[in-house]
Amino acid sequence: MFKLSRRTITNSILIVCAVFLVSIFSPSFKNSTQKTLKPQLSLIDLLKRECAGIIFYHRNMVEFDRLNGDVESLRRNLFDLREIEQENSRLKSLLGFKQKSPLHLVSSRVIARSPDSWSSSVIIDKGKYSGIRRGMAVINTRGLVGRVVEVADNNSKILLVNDPSQGISSIVQRSRQEGLVSGSLGSNLIMRYLPDDAQIAVGDIIITSELSQVYPKGLLVGRVINIGKEFSGLSRYAVIKPAVELSNIEEVLVIIP
Amino acid sequence: MKKWLIILLTLIILATLQLSWPVCLSFFHAKPDLLLIFVVSLVFYFNFKIALLFAVLAGLFKDAFLPSASAINTLAFSAWSYLTFRLSSQISTENSYVRLVIILIISLLNNTALGIQSLNSGNYIPAGIFLRNLLITSVYTVALSPFIFKLTKRIAA
Repeated sequence: MFKLSRRTITNSILIVCAVFLVSIFSPSFKNSTQKTLKPQLSLIDLLKRECAGIIFYHRNMVEFDRLNGDVESLRRNLFDLREIEQENSRLKSLLGFKQKSPLHLVSSRVIARSPDSWSSSVIIDKGKYSGIRRGMAVINTRGLVGRVVEVADNNSKILLVNDPSQGISSIVQRSRQEGLVSGSLGSNLIMRYLPDDAQIAVGDIIITSELSQVYPKGLLVGRVINIGKEFSGLSRYAVIKPAVELSNIEEVLVIIP
Repeated sequence: MKKWLIILLTLIILATLQLSWPVCLSFFHAKPDLLLIFVVSLVFYFNFKIALLFAVLAGLFKDAFLPSASAINTLAFSAWSYLTFRLSSQISTENSYVRLVIILIISLLNNTALGIQSLNSGNYIPAGIFLRNLLITSVYTVALSPFIFKLTKRIAA
């Protein structure tokens, strides 16, 4: 009853072998076939898409408008998030600095800037109620910012280091050479009254000296970028790049003595 | 009364704008003097008493936010308002180019006065920065003046 003929057995073996061979060689077969047919398939697909685009033009247009709106809204969200991210990192660094620093600090935000180009000042959102008093030094995580010149209940006016009326008694960190740093309304500061044989070189770091009655000793002022001779020829001056980007400050720390 | 309130509101808005002028819109650290344009434009579109009153107020606003305790802007704005009034009674100021030239001259004079006052109080300002503040600020002020003229004209209408 179950006796199979020789022919049936041979056929069955041949079929199994064929299936086995196809399963082995099918990936390479598939790949080469796809490779060969790709241009034609792409062309057909393109034609199909173009036809569908023409047929469903109105639907696509509505969809496009909706998606465009979504993109705009997401872009706005992304911009807001970037702003929050930057603010977050700034505040984190401020907080870190505040925790590390032995000084008693009050952090505050810049709310307005000088109304003209002949002075360099900012207004911050903390005043007498936060313990701020006239003459206090103001810094940020990078270095010296300025000093408090006016205090109201809830805001204070800060004279920035690049204001020409500023005079900061400073020293060169490497050689302890003393000089007076003053602002020039530009983006750089000038260290003046340096003797002809002053120990100062390009790249030197300038910090506040202990002679300063307003600023605590050792606050970073900036780095020397150029040295020149005064017009009179009696002394030299050094151009200093401030450690703080004064035109972009948003948060500051007031040092409470 | 309503117009007075609108002028006051405009003055406050312009003062706020000047105080928070974006850094990206400052050319070589120079920013325009919006209050000065408004003070001069008030002389062109309103009677002298109103213009002078708001010139004093604008000067006070500006002085209040400066680090130095002086009233130079109050004095200067009143003087420019008076001089513009005198000048407009001598020559025709209907042409917009004439108005731009007046703004340029007043802006140059105002910046010169502020610069000299700063130098006089012992501050050291390099010649390049003095010229930058004098010229770029004045030209920037002139460039923005047509917008404030239009605004003042609309308030006066």
